Amino acid sequence: MKKILALVLTVLLTVSCIGFAAAEDDITLDVIICQYGNNTNNWFTGTGIDGSNFVELFEAANPGIKLNLEVVSWNDVYTVVSTRISNGNAPDILNIDTFADYATEGLLLPVTDYCSEELYSDFFPSFIAQSVIDGVVWAVPDLASARAMYYNKDMFEEVGIEVPTTWAELEDACQAIVDYYGGDVYPWGIDMTTDEGQAAFSYYVWNNDGGFVDADGNWALNSDANVEAINFAIGLYNQGYTNPNPATQTRYDLQDMFGAGKMAMVITTNQLPTYLTEKGYSVNYGTAALPHNEGAAGGATGVMDRVMAFKDDSYPDQAARNAAIGKFLDFFYSPEMYTGWVSMEGFLPAVSSAVSYLVEADPSFGAWLDVLDSCQFYPTAKSEWVDVKQGVIEVEQNALLGGDVKTLLDGLQEKVTK
Amino acid sequence: MNSILMRRKWEPYLWLLPSMLLMTIFIVFPIFIVFKLSFSEISKAGVVGSFVGLANFKAAVTDDVFGTVMLNTLLWVVSVVGISTLLGFIVAMMMNSKFHGRKIARSIVVFPWATSLVIQASIWNYIIKFEYGNLNNILLNLGIIQDAVNWRISYHIEFMWECGVGIFVTVPFVAFCVLAGLQSIDGAYYEAATVDGAGAWKKLTHVTLPLVRPALMVSTVLNIIYVFNSFPIIYTITKGAPANKTDTMVTYLYMLAFYDQEKGPATALSVIGFILLCAVAGLYMMISIKKDER
Repeated sequence: MKKILALVLTVLLTVSCIGFAAAEDDITLDVIICQYGNNTNNWFTGTGIDGSNFVELFEAANPGIKLNLEVVSWNDVYTVVSTRISNGNAPDILNIDTFADYATEGLLLPVTDYCSEELYSDFFPSFIAQSVIDGVVWAVPDLASARAMYYNKDMFEEVGIEVPTTWAELEDACQAIVDYYGGDVYPWGIDMTTDEGQAAFSYYVWNNDGGFVDADGNWALNSDANVEAINFAIGLYNQGYTNPNPATQTRYDLQDMFGAGKMAMVITTNQLPTYLTEKGYSVNYGTAALPHNEGAAGGATGVMDRVMAFKDDSYPDQAARNAAIGKFLDFFYSPEMYTGWVSMEGFLPAVSSAVSYLVEADPSFGAWLDVLDSCQFYPTAKSEWVDVKQGVIEVEQNALLGGDVKTLLDGLQEKVTK
Repeated sequence: MNSILMRRKWEPYLWLLPSMLLMTIFIVFPIFIVFKLSFSEISKAGVVGSFVGLANFKAAVTDDVFGTVMLNTLLWVVSVVGISTLLGFIVAMMMNSKFHGRKIARSIVVFPWATSLVIQASIWNYIIKFEYGNLNNILLNLGIIQDAVNWRISYHIEFMWECGVGIFVTVPFVAFCVLAGLQSIDGAYYEAATVDGAGAWKKLTHVTLPLVRPALMVSTVLNIIYVFNSFPIIYTITKGAPANKTDTMVTYLYMLAFYDQEKGPATALSVIGFILLCAVAGLYMMISIKKDER
């Protein structure tokens, strides 16, 4: 009996050694993906793709490459990534929004080191241009979303007002809604929370010919146009046209109010229809361009996230590692994978090859893709972006408390450019 | 014989070894790392650079919002610990008296403490919502109010709500600490006090309070540490907004580290917090040692 047991153990040991020997030749890529919605985790690691998942399908299609893929919530991803970098354990591939700090620290690989030419040429050039520092592309876009104004059609009909296109019309519409509904409906939604206060900033400054930077790409946070724009936004709050707590009510709170018929107009992402359906709201809504100041050119806000690859000098075969990262991207952006993912998350694609597939499946996508063409993006390629992003939110929140917008923006400009 | 003596000498250390090892790995080592980081330059990407002396501490304490945050932290700790100690004592006295359903009452009282803080804070967030909060719904349905009330009309009020939730979840802990103290009091003390003609007030101040003082002391010191370090309530309800006006030290340093990516000043702040809490714990130990000596 003992001999049989010893034999079995020896065989098992040998088999496991062979297994390890085979596994040693594999490349394992650490991948961090942000959680965009309820289905992200299931799609990547569960049973979301016809009973299988992205990791399984990738590993089956690419023998010798293993994925150690982790889906991390947006709330935690910055903590996870910076802790891993501090501990010398950066992921191989990261999906996140910002990249400038990683690039300027010399942590990233240039995209041309791992991305195939065919795939590279498939990205919208205007998207790729957002990830360039000193002429080098450090990340590729994984998706985009565009913002639009949604309005409650039934309310507009009941009150008898037209969809506002300018700020003056917007104020008139808000007053008409207040007059008609009293305090039962908020005419306008504002989110100046730490979640997305920077988006609120862009909705107003870009629609007053202002912006984060000037024509030369230098920070211009305290421009007259910006001061006027933020004063206008704060004025809407002070006149009682908005939700009562813009500093703590997030985009999702506003979407819930809009869905429940408590809010007449809200600026939010192209994902709103998916959100309303999932939450069971049945509001009759329309979409329109963001209102702008009289005489100013309107500007749509686009938001883009990215995929980037970190250096790992300890890896013995850099060429093999780069090739593995390239294969990951090729597989992820292949039409059958990518269109499924973008549709599931309700976002807009970043590669042109996906457009025809998506428009065929849902013709309403076409209109959003047109909006994307005219979108302005945050200046995330500038290394001070994190300070600016948090800074404009602080300015907004202090302005809500009665602070002087000009003084606050002057202070931020000084802090960022010193 | 010698081997038995040797074994007796080393055995306690052997038994202590696993917990000492765990404490070293999970407490002492991270503390050492944080101290080291607080004197280092840390980039926004998280790369740890060279020694920068007290620069991180200077940056942290000279920031405009540092004063507000420290004042909030003081208000938060004093109000939550103070009020919950008072209310917890009253609840413990009630639970110590005999009445029908006492066991059920004790089980109910423990719920707020036993539930996760994030869940508690989220529930309260829904209760006080202006648009469709439970509090407004109930008051409207009962006809007590005619129009919905904005229970979060200013950040002062929001901070008071946060303190209120802190008190709500802390009271049970105090109550059960005090209850344990009350149950250990020999009934003979009260009989003797009654014979001496003491009334209810005198029994409370001359018998009950002195005898439950050790339990109150333990709960107060532990609460100061727990409440000072408490993160979920404020983070869930306001995230320190607007403009850090409702931040305490712990939520502020988190936002500083992971939203503003200012990890150097954030680690410096955590070192300051650690030193403050060490002072509280040291005070408690000094009092305990003095009492033992007496």
